[in-house]
Amino acid sequence: MVEITLKGITKRFGNFLALDNINLKINDREFMALLGPSGSGKSTLLYTIAGIYRPTRGRIYFDDRDVTDIPPKDRNVGLVFQNWALYPHMTVFENIAFPLELRKVPRDEIERKVREVAKMLHIENLLHRYPWQLSGGQQQRVAIARALVKEPDVLLLDEPLSNLDTLLRLEVRAELKRLQKELGITAVYVTHDQAEALAMADRIAVIKEGKILQVGTPNEVYYKPKYKFVGWFLGNPPMNFVEAEVEGDYLRVYSSRIPVPSHYREIIEKLGIKEVILGFRPHDAQIVKGVGDGLLGEVYSFEPLGREQIVTISLDGVFIKVFAPEEESFTFGEKVTVEIREDRIILFDKEKEVALEYLYKD
Amino acid sequence: MNRMGREKIKDLSFFLFPMILMILFFYIIPLVMTVYTSFTPLRNWNVERYLFEFVGLYNYERLLYMFQHDPTFKAVILTTVVFLGITLVINVLGGLVLALATFFINERIASGFRLLWLLPRMSPIAVYSLVWYYFFHGSEIGTLNSILMKLGVISQPIPWGQIIPWGAWSILIFVNGLVGVSFGMIVFTSALNQIPRELIIAARVDGASTWDISRKILIPLMRWHILYVLTWQFLSLLTTFHHIFLLVQWNLINRDYGTTLALYVFNTAFGRGEQDQGLAAAAAVILSIVGIIGGYLTLKLLKFEKMMKKPRGDF
Repeated sequence: MVEITLKGITKRFGNFLALDNINLKINDREFMALLGPSGSGKSTLLYTIAGIYRPTRGRIYFDDRDVTDIPPKDRNVGLVFQNWALYPHMTVFENIAFPLELRKVPRDEIERKVREVAKMLHIENLLHRYPWQLSGGQQQRVAIARALVKEPDVLLLDEPLSNLDTLLRLEVRAELKRLQKELGITAVYVTHDQAEALAMADRIAVIKEGKILQVGTPNEVYYKPKYKFVGWFLGNPPMNFVEAEVEGDYLRVYSSRIPVPSHYREIIEKLGIKEVILGFRPHDAQIVKGVGDGLLGEVYSFEPLGREQIVTISLDGVFIKVFAPEEESFTFGEKVTVEIREDRIILFDKEKEVALEYLYKD
Repeated sequence: MNRMGREKIKDLSFFLFPMILMILFFYIIPLVMTVYTSFTPLRNWNVERYLFEFVGLYNYERLLYMFQHDPTFKAVILTTVVFLGITLVINVLGGLVLALATFFINERIASGFRLLWLLPRMSPIAVYSLVWYYFFHGSEIGTLNSILMKLGVISQPIPWGQIIPWGAWSILIFVNGLVGVSFGMIVFTSALNQIPRELIIAARVDGASTWDISRKILIPLMRWHILYVLTWQFLSLLTTFHHIFLLVQWNLINRDYGTTLALYVFNTAFGRGEQDQGLAAAAAVILSIVGIIGGYLTLKLLKFEKMMKKPRGDF
């Protein structure tokens, strides 16, 4: 159980800058998700923590111990891969026992520890099988068992659920979260699936092009995105963005006008900014039929999803998506007004695509 | 036979006939001719006189007699066994070591290194043999001799290939082993590249050394490839004679301890002096039987029938 500190981690592959001055602290027993699109550098960061990659610059600490120059085997980390990386010529038992055998643990102790961890992951009746005789979910459990059997200080997971089908993924998601808390192990979880990160992590670090954009609890990154990218990347459907112009106490959005949200009045005044991007989540607005106070538009399309429906609305040719209750019915081309929950509005700088409050703080 | 069956046979024969013809003309017919010839006293290609004379197992009895009493033929058999055994081990182990070594080093260096080992296979047989002819030449023009003399290790040139038996054998094994190693290396390298990198990373994180990874993960995963290379090299070493022919012909290595059974067959049938095709055919049949038994054993060992899975779907 350790706390991980990354100080100014930079990693270059030739001319390619994979990680750019990463500073991050992962608390003891914390479940940290590294979230980003493919090629963002999140896996590189994970492998740097594991010691498979050496940072070009920067230091890595496990508690107070500088592990930057320590080889992977001496960092005591457990690693779970996307493809699980089970040794195909070994049985489940041999797979799980492998890390212990390398450590020259006595035979009877290996036996005991393997059975213990197999029991914890409900695979004790599969120990004599080979990986190809297992389902995806079972293989995944074996991979986690193999990572946990050596009682690592840190559990590193590289998209461990993305090879599972949707239903199984939801099931394992809940289980993995529970397991991490029960073991009280520090976990770093790489994923490109925002729902997974939101559902499982204590905190999320959003990574793009080798830089950490924002670190925070799922609530923080979801509701208070620091960058337009974060708002767009998290949530399904993503955050809506429309261009707006400041006109005194009002924001002009195409042909509509809404008051400047109260939490932004002071900031806008101080920054003297004119052009902004208005962001809001699809569930933070409601659709009112006819013309009223809010953003005026017309229904472009609607997709019932069971409990609710996604309505696509055209604001003078710009599309936004808003959730509406299932019982409401719409027609194509219908005139509607979108009323946004004022306290949930985020305003971004048009050039830098940063939320105004952060611009103001910097 | 029902209609479906007949259709199937028609389709099958259409697609298979080029290969069947090839096998018929270049394998089955020569094999039958060889077996037939081994029962005739054919010699000096005097077909009219000998080809239709039947002598039963006479040629085989001669081989057996030679095997018991003729020192030259004994030397041939011994040379074949030693050459085959040692070169096979060198080929398979050498290929394995090279593949593993290049697997763990920087890719750019590795491919240059592999190319270097491919050179013996790429160069024409005569050119390649000539290189080693000059290298091991028994007079002072030989590269090895002149190096050793310059260094003062020896004062007189040594006729390496005429030292029997091990001088001749060493050159034989060295020259052929160098060609064969690259085959194993290529097969093993491609096998290694098929192994997911994560398996190696996982093992490294768990504390495995390069030796542990090679022994416990990579080599077990290459089991099929190793047995395949073993079979292939066994059969090709059993029948190879090109390099050996040249080295013997050029008098670089001792004739008796430089001739394998394959070359013996060739020399007896087509060589200088009196040619004895009947005897050569009998020896060739023996060679084929050894090859068939060896090939069959390794296929059994490979559990080859297990690898041949029935295709899915309706046919």
